[in-house]
Amino acid sequence: MDGLRKDQSLVGATDNINEETNNITQKVISEGGEETMVPPVGNSIHRSSSRPQLDLSGAAIQGNFEERDPTILLPNQSDDISHLALDIGGSLIKLVYFSRHEDRVVNDKRKKSAKERFGVSNGNIRRTFPILGGRLHFVKFETAKINECLEFIHSKQLHRGDNDNAVIKVYTMFEKATGGGAYKFADLFKEKLGVSIEKEDEMDCLVAGANFLLKAIRHEAFTHKEGHKEFVQIDHNDLYPYLLVNIGSGVSMIKVDGDGKFQRVSGTNVGGGTYWGLGRLLTKCKSFDELLELSQRGDNSSIDMLVGDIYGGLDYSKIGLSASTIASSFGKAISENKEIEDYRPEDISLSLLRMISYNIGQISYLTALQLGIKRIFFGGFFIRGHAYTMDTISFAIQFWSKGGAQAMFLRHEGFLGALGAFMSYEKHGLDDLMVHQLVERFPMGAPYTGGKIHGPPLGDLNEKARWIQGPDLVCSNQKGTYFICNLLQISWMEKFVRKGIKITAPVPTASPRTTGLGGFEAPSSKGDTLRCDESNLNVGVLHLVPSLEVFPLLADPKTYEPNTIDLADPNELEYWFTVLSEHLPDLVDKAVASEGGTDDARRRGDAFARAFSAHLARLMEEPAAYGKLSLANLLELREECLREFNFFDAYSTIKHRENEASLAETRLLTLIEGVLAANIFDWGSRACVDLYHKGTIIEIYRMSRKKMQRPWRVDDFDAFKERMGFGDKKHQRHKRALLFVDNSGADVVVLVANSLPALNDVTAMELPEIVAEAAKHCDILRGAAEAGGLLMDAMINIQDSPREKSSSTPLMVVENGCGSPCIDLRQVSSELAAAAKDADLVCCFNILYIYLVILEGMGRALHTNYNARFKCDALKLAMVKNQRLAEKLIKGNIYDCVCRYEPAN
Amino acid sequence: MEGDRIEEVRLVHSPVDEISHLALDIGGSLIKMVYFSTSREQPIDKTQINASRDSHAVSRSSKDGHLLNGRLYFLKFETSKINECLDFISSKQLHYRGLQHCGFPASDKNIIKATGGGAFKFADLFKEKLGISLDKVEEMSSLVSGANFLLKAVPSEAFTYVNGQRNYVQIDHNDLYPYLLVNIGSGVSMIKVDGDGKYERVSGTSVGGGTFWGLGKLLTKCKSFDDLLEMSHQGNNRVIDMLVGDIYGGMDYLKIGLSSTAIASSFGKAVSENRELEEYRPEDVARSLLRMISNNIGQIAYLNALRFGLKKIFFGGFFIRGHAYTMDTISVAVDFWSKGEAKAMFLRHEGFLGALGAFMNYQLVEEFPDTIHLAGEKNRNPLVGDLNDNGVIECCVQARPAVED
Repeated sequence: MDGLRKDQSLVGATDNINEETNNITQKVISEGGEETMVPPVGNSIHRSSSRPQLDLSGAAIQGNFEERDPTILLPNQSDDISHLALDIGGSLIKLVYFSRHEDRVVNDKRKKSAKERFGVSNGNIRRTFPILGGRLHFVKFETAKINECLEFIHSKQLHRGDNDNAVIKVYTMFEKATGGGAYKFADLFKEKLGVSIEKEDEMDCLVAGANFLLKAIRHEAFTHKEGHKEFVQIDHNDLYPYLLVNIGSGVSMIKVDGDGKFQRVSGTNVGGGTYWGLGRLLTKCKSFDELLELSQRGDNSSIDMLVGDIYGGLDYSKIGLSASTIASSFGKAISENKEIEDYRPEDISLSLLRMISYNIGQISYLTALQLGIKRIFFGGFFIRGHAYTMDTISFAIQFWSKGGAQAMFLRHEGFLGALGAFMSYEKHGLDDLMVHQLVERFPMGAPYTGGKIHGPPLGDLNEKARWIQGPDLVCSNQKGTYFICNLLQISWMEKFVRKGIKITAPVPTASPRTTGLGGFEAPSSKGDTLRCDESNLNVGVLHLVPSLEVFPLLADPKTYEPNTIDLADPNELEYWFTVLSEHLPDLVDKAVASEGGTDDARRRGDAFARAFSAHLARLMEEPAAYGKLSLANLLELREECLREFNFFDAYSTIKHRENEASLAETRLLTLIEGVLAANIFDWGSRACVDLYHKGTIIEIYRMSRKKMQRPWRVDDFDAFKERMGFGDKKHQRHKRALLFVDNSGADVVVLVANSLPALNDVTAMELPEIVAEAAKHCDILRGAAEAGGLLMDAMINIQDSPREKSSSTPLMVVENGCGSPCIDLRQVSSELAAAAKDADLVCCFNILYIYLVILEGMGRALHTNYNARFKCDALKLAMVKNQRLAEKLIKGNIYDCVCRYEPAN
Repeated sequence: MEGDRIEEVRLVHSPVDEISHLALDIGGSLIKMVYFSTSREQPIDKTQINASRDSHAVSRSSKDGHLLNGRLYFLKFETSKINECLDFISSKQLHYRGLQHCGFPASDKNIIKATGGGAFKFADLFKEKLGISLDKVEEMSSLVSGANFLLKAVPSEAFTYVNGQRNYVQIDHNDLYPYLLVNIGSGVSMIKVDGDGKYERVSGTSVGGGTFWGLGKLLTKCKSFDDLLEMSHQGNNRVIDMLVGDIYGGMDYLKIGLSSTAIASSFGKAVSENRELEEYRPEDVARSLLRMISNNIGQIAYLNALRFGLKKIFFGGFFIRGHAYTMDTISVAVDFWSKGEAKAMFLRHEGFLGALGAFMNYQLVEEFPDTIHLAGEKNRNPLVGDLNDNGVIECCVQARPAVED
């Protein structure tokens, strides 16, 4: 066993990926038009008539039927169904559009019964009218290739309103001064798409965009110091007033007091236009980005006069200036007999960048000071996620405020204007969205949503797979216009071999079924002196899931932090990246097998490996690229990536087999033992995977059961036993227990036998079947399932007296609305939320303690929520299948067990 | 460039044999010099200074207050041509004679008061070439004492500049403090002055005279600061700057209170037009640059004045040089940002604040508020009567030894 341990701890383990792969539908669940129209019960005001409804008449599949998610053309929509807003800038066109994502109509008795039982539509108290779910997309195009943009809009039918006078809202259209001309664009849009474009007020847009982002996205704002990003949690109730500094050609400083309440208080004419304009004249650069790129390799001391130059290398400490402080920008150019040509363009660019950034920072700070504003947010095209620019501005604010103020930046900064224009549609339905109703995903096939633009959008999966596979395939299979796609691949892949990063290839190097990566020319000539600007933050697709809610049983949602491990620690980050990378080949094998091992599946598996590796590489380079990085996000990203390549349930075959094989019965101790032991069945853990290869699952299960001797490493079993009424004292029985199950397979059986009154499984779709199957073996379970309306023949009863005392405790399955092996209890399905706060009980605070929350498995109980506190009793069960985690969390060893019982206080 | 004017000064104003007391401000771009000379017209007062006097005798005589009538001379050199400055001092034997006049102890006679970063940087050079030690006077305190001296002692020193018109401001000595002193040298220092020797550097910016000249030199191939300024006078910044009107189609963007001629983005037009640097007139480039920098300084200065509740903002330093357009831009900036509440004020001796302050450090100058008049005024057109280049203040100093502290 010792030998085994050593091996396993070396390869490490991740947790619980398998159960997630099959519940795509839950993940992006959106309350579709029809469903949300279910009249709310109770006293909430029903105002749905004032809100859009989907008109399904005339619906037709648009485009390729073979696509997994064909666009459904719904020609008879009211005009706010699909919104599109643009920001046409000098070099980039930013596009924000909203797409309804219809939940596949699931005539699922489980869901229906659960909904009715809990009165789900009543669950979301804050909402007075239904919001349609959907996705907010952020896309970029190069202005020079406006036709691609037009084609994209056309192909997505984004411009189709219900009348001929469709209007597209535009933030800016770059003006005659920048060569394009608004008329040109207006004509183009009219001609190609038959729509008018309408320019919105710039400042209205900026403010609306910023307000939306700051309120709706949890990790939107961040500080940037010395190359390090730190996301800032903004308290929505304490957001205003703030200063919004928009750095475009010039700089506007806007004091924002609330929605639509703002004033331009200051500004400066020394802005992005100055940088680019002067830079172009001085360096002959062809583009803004080129100029910015140059600055990374520059040394401004060759052209700026530093304090040290004046004081002969001494610090002028009396006034708090160090020798390297710039005394006079470009001041050295005075005395030296040099022409422009004698200076390196890199140095000039850097000097210019510092001059302008400092200046903007200084004026912003002074303005904020004057108005007594604490928070300053910077946005606009000048910043572009450029690390050095942000550093310089931050430094200026820090310097002048003596640390009292901080510059903050926005992750969606580049889309501020377009988003604002989008918000200016009267009925976009996004006003009242809360932070917990948005989930951001980062699909690989969205080159536009990343920092840089590389070619046209990818239409379907085939294209995506090809694109991600390699230049050869791209070239042979695509039209000439698609060649550019390679760029993205190269720019991402080059990260793999970046110097100074230990993980040089977080990719399967050789896997029997995948070709792995390699063979790419990898330019890696990044200077180390200055940070590069690849820190462009990625912008994902915002999934609007109005049905998500904060888990009501959380003790304090405000301070709740799901993640147990802080990936801000570079060691942790590297460790988990290694774990994920090493696990990848096996995952690909499983995924390919789950789809029958066809050539197509293999191809997709390969593409998935590349895509996920690219994600990892990107994150390794810039951990904050997708927002605040956590293990939960990382695991979720992997699941999302699998789904993206149409692996909806990589472990389906295995799960199915194991579920059948492992039906057994137990009692309380054996229950928990069983949970822990069964928890070893974990395809997410490399250690376990190795183990399984050596025997059948049931054998391992039995073996591990033997190992499960108490006391466990963290052992609150006795306390829990006492509470459950097996001790001397009499306790009120838990009225409802919520068991967050994780892995499919053996532990499902345990759950079933456990007869706990409510279930939540991530695979909520399939769980009823398993329960039904299990019920054949177990009367208790059968009774419970019938009472819970899970079994067909019991359906009749639920309408009549769902809460009537029955011989069995009702057993129900609800989905948690989460897409990760980990769970973020700030964003759970309304179904679950309703289950957690039964309408009868909400007002009765003292009843809460008779609830029981059971979190089970590494993802839910260790990686996340290990430190979470609940209003009710909580039981956290897991087997630690990772040596490092075991040491860190419980000072134990791999395969140690955790049974943590925390009674409500 | 300075050669001619120095020559002129030498011919007109500086009799070789009566020079004494020299102070330097060695900045990043320019060396400013102030020295005192007894004038020919007004012979030396009763003072008969004996060079061999011992220190005891000197201190006694200082109590008596030997007054010297004479003139303060103002000169400048480019820092890059520091040898010209050394030659000048050497040829005039300023250091030598001045000290003799004052009757310093022999051991101190090779000391010159100096300020600015160069006082550190070039200390060895002065020692080596002239055998002179530079007695370093702290830069900020020099600026402040120079400004305080000028504001209190010289009538018609401060003026506002509105629509091309200088309006001299009578400074009430009792209501002088606090004020914001903005010294625009290579870089810009902003100093809150609360009294004699009471001040704090509250802000600054690296975008200053050095930026104007440095960038200007790169962009226009101009050979001197003055040429650049001169060129800017004939330029039109609209060619290069993006104006509000360029963005909003010629209409004022009233909602935010900007007129169509306001600059939205300095050099913003250079972004899109396919014009190379050579295709722009150097005059236009210089103008655009000047406006950018003046406006920026004006804005930051105003914001700082506002922050500390200061009503008076004085602009000094060599960047201004009495250049009408520069002063106009700064004035407009302050006026714009303060919505007319604040006025930018300028000093006639703006370039010499530091050097003058270093000179004051000799502790020679008694209070003589009413006795000073500007000799230069007689010789110059009052409208352009700034004394930025070289000039003279007629004054009277009391000779006494430097206080050792």
